[in-house]
Amino acid sequence: MLVAGIPLGGVSVLLFRRSLLVVPVLAVWACADSRAPSLGGNDDFGDPIRIGASPTRIVSLNPATTEILFTLGAGTRLIGRTKYDSWPDSAKLIPPLGDGIQPNVEAVLAVHPDLVILYASQDNRPAAGRFRAAGVNTLSLKVDHISDFRRSVLLLGAVLHDSARAKTVIDSVYRTLDRVRSATAHLTRPTVFWHIWDAPIITIGSGSFMNELVDIAGGKNVYADIAGPSAQVSLEDISRRDPEFILAGPIGKAQIASDPRWKIVRAARENRVFAVDTMVVARPSVRLGEAAVSLASLLHPGTLR
Amino acid sequence: MTRFRGWYWLFLIAALFAIVAIAVARGAVSVPLAAVFEALRGRGDPTVVAIVRDLRLPRVVLAALVGAGLAASGAALQGSLRNPLAEPYLLGVSGGAAVGAVIVFALGFTADFAVTLAAFVGSVAAVLLALAVSRVGARGQRADLRTLLVAGVIVGAFANAAIMVALAKAEPNTIRGALFWMMGSAADANWQRVGWLAASILVAGGALVYWAREIDVLSLGEETAASLGVNAEKSGRRVFLIAALLAAATVAVAGLVGFVGLVVPHIARRMGLRAHRPLVLAAALIGATLVVAADLAARTAAPPTELPLGAITALLGVPFFLVQLRRAA
Repeated sequence: MLVAGIPLGGVSVLLFRRSLLVVPVLAVWACADSRAPSLGGNDDFGDPIRIGASPTRIVSLNPATTEILFTLGAGTRLIGRTKYDSWPDSAKLIPPLGDGIQPNVEAVLAVHPDLVILYASQDNRPAAGRFRAAGVNTLSLKVDHISDFRRSVLLLGAVLHDSARAKTVIDSVYRTLDRVRSATAHLTRPTVFWHIWDAPIITIGSGSFMNELVDIAGGKNVYADIAGPSAQVSLEDISRRDPEFILAGPIGKAQIASDPRWKIVRAARENRVFAVDTMVVARPSVRLGEAAVSLASLLHPGTLR
Repeated sequence: MTRFRGWYWLFLIAALFAIVAIAVARGAVSVPLAAVFEALRGRGDPTVVAIVRDLRLPRVVLAALVGAGLAASGAALQGSLRNPLAEPYLLGVSGGAAVGAVIVFALGFTADFAVTLAAFVGSVAAVLLALAVSRVGARGQRADLRTLLVAGVIVGAFANAAIMVALAKAEPNTIRGALFWMMGSAADANWQRVGWLAASILVAGGALVYWAREIDVLSLGEETAASLGVNAEKSGRRVFLIAALLAAATVAVAGLVGFVGLVVPHIARRMGLRAHRPLVLAAALIGATLVVAADLAARTAAPPTELPLGAITALLGVPFFLVQLRRAA
């Protein structure tokens, strides 16, 4: 960032990189495009996918894939994770190996993995190259959208030689999503503002899986016209769009309540701010169904049972 | 060489008022001009009143104050240190403020005043450290004022390194909060912040105007200053400290808004100003105009998204400066 003068430039670039995957919600903000789901021969870096003997020593450097591996029954084969993986609880027992973006390659190689799963952001290309050069099977996956989740589960199922279980996992998540979608389909769709961050105010655009969740839960994101996963917006513009509900994390809800300027937004003034469990809705992974149910029960109480 | 004419003042003041008026009138919600005036007096639709009086007006005034403070600080520093590249952010002010902000973010305080206070304390500490470093560099001899500049850069570099180390171990929310803070923004303006910054600028800016003659003498060189009976080291340090406090106050309320402190003093000099009393005042007016315009662009250029203020100040400042440079050539 040239604004801060020469010395700070490096810092902020570095910060930016660090903050991408690290902060689950920011990951949404940073990663734009979704790829068509396919079970082709290449991963999201275009590297060939190697399906050999079922891996027994897996390092997952993305909290979303860690969740998937646990539900596929491969939790016991995980020997490394990022320091941000927190679900399921037993994930916390796996040794953390640092960051998921620009990971510590040496620390990962030191545990002798036979499969490394990376988040496919540009920052991770060099690391993927190094793991491959060291002869470790490496799978780089973008998990940003609901369709990415489906594709990742299928791929990981194939790599683990348990495609049947992968299909079961997908079916259960998709069945829940379908149930929520059909339960809310005939209802009027309230407009929703999703408060991600307070200073500056960051919200989600249609490029985020959270936007997909709002749709499924029978709402309408007031900033669906923003194509990217997220954007900075102004209080004035929020008041103009006049959302019926505000979704926010518990901290965000408190911030909205304590800042008098939010009173110009009708939903804040009339106390229609819902606290969502940011840990449940933060990742496009196995808890998507749970996230959709929780959103639907906020936006359309009593509809689901 | 251009000569500065009296009516330029009228032009500078009129330009500031014009841009302030446009900035208050424009925004995501389109409000007719008549309704804006009504709203300023507290009449009409309560939502419009709230938008104009609680959102736009404090934001515009804060942007103006930030621009004025940074530009005045830069003008004083460039003059007293006799270096056209001197600017407040180069002197450890930004680095120190960022260290302060990162520390409170890391401790989990996100309250408005906590971050403001910590950033201010951080930058003051960095500036005092720079002063101490320059003294050590002088080893008891009369310190060259240029040592101050080097000391400031060194302290700034150290502060940046400290930030990187601290953030390498930090929680995601800390990183996010600090990152956004560093980007600089007037979006969180409220009257409390405006009042705080206005008071700081009145005191520190007034002090710079009061000691402007000393800056004039310093800008002639330390030996000339000595022959004119001015203690160059002492008054140089004084100007340095006041200018740094001025910049620190702006950083504390609005984060890092780059480029203004560097380029605006040059623009003011290109208008033909040499003496530092009018130079500091003109720089303040131009800086205020530029930052209000930049913030207006940040709000309205790419709706509904807001752009980072610091990037816009540079985008507007560079062409403006180049035109000036060409005209003067």
